[in-house]
Amino acid sequence: MLRIDPLRNPEPLIRRVYGYVAYRIGDGPDAEDITSETFERALRYKKSFDPQKGEPLAWLIGIARRLIEGRPVTLELAIEVPDRADAGDLQDDTLRRLALSSAVSHLEPRDRDLIALRYGADLTARQIAEELNLRTNAVEVALHRALGRLRATIGEQGDPPVRKEGTAR
Amino acid sequence: MRDKRTNLETELRANRPEPSRELVHRLEGRVREGRRSRAGSFRVAFAGALAVGVLAALASVGGLGYAATATDSAVDKAKQAVRSHGVLVVHKSPSRDQYGNPKAKKATKAKKKAKGRRFARPPFTG
Repeated sequence: MLRIDPLRNPEPLIRRVYGYVAYRIGDGPDAEDITSETFERALRYKKSFDPQKGEPLAWLIGIARRLIEGRPVTLELAIEVPDRADAGDLQDDTLRRLALSSAVSHLEPRDRDLIALRYGADLTARQIAEELNLRTNAVEVALHRALGRLRATIGEQGDPPVRKEGTAR
Repeated sequence: MRDKRTNLETELRANRPEPSRELVHRLEGRVREGRRSRAGSFRVAFAGALAVGVLAALASVGGLGYAATATDSAVDKAKQAVRSHGVLVVHKSPSRDQYGNPKAKKATKAKKKAKGRRFARPPFTG
């Protein structure tokens, strides 16, 4: 039987795994370490990948989740959003990204996991349900609530600056 | 409400943290390297399997037995030749003329050394 290589096109996978890890534990060297370790393990256990069980991305995210849950608990510092008075010095995109990351870092771990799976790794509700052993509609409801709480957190911190026309990607 | 939700979702996707270019390059290289070593081990396994296949094919038509018999007969022939004629030692040969008897040469060298010790190098006269 011809074996499918799950890491055939690694670049988009690296980006999405990193997106997931960074939404979970914060952007930076720790997220880079977890992403690297995820790919090391994926290379080591490539033979265990079963395409019938899911896509390569879901398999990699499963590895990353286990790594995050198994890492020693460290003091996580909440991301500080710069004062709005300094906003003129920073690019809107950067400020907005920081505000969002900060809001995500204040969520409960379960909500953060859901947000990271949906918007960091770009998994569908169905893929998330498979990963978490839940029903798809349960995931959708949980996501909806997590988004509500995230919006409330952003509201408490103050709305992030509105993206200017033309800076949108 | 729906619009607000969609905006937040769009923002979350658009502002997804991105890995550094260095990390992407490093991991891509690592994945490529892993793939190459896998291809290398596949080649070795293929060569091994091919060798085993050839040996099995030869064995099936008695090729291995034939080769073993041929080797045995060659060894026997060589043994017979050595036993019946003995090993020929040539006492007079051009190489002997040139290099002489190695034992005799050693003795001459020792003599020369002794002579040298008694009469050191002649003085330099200019």
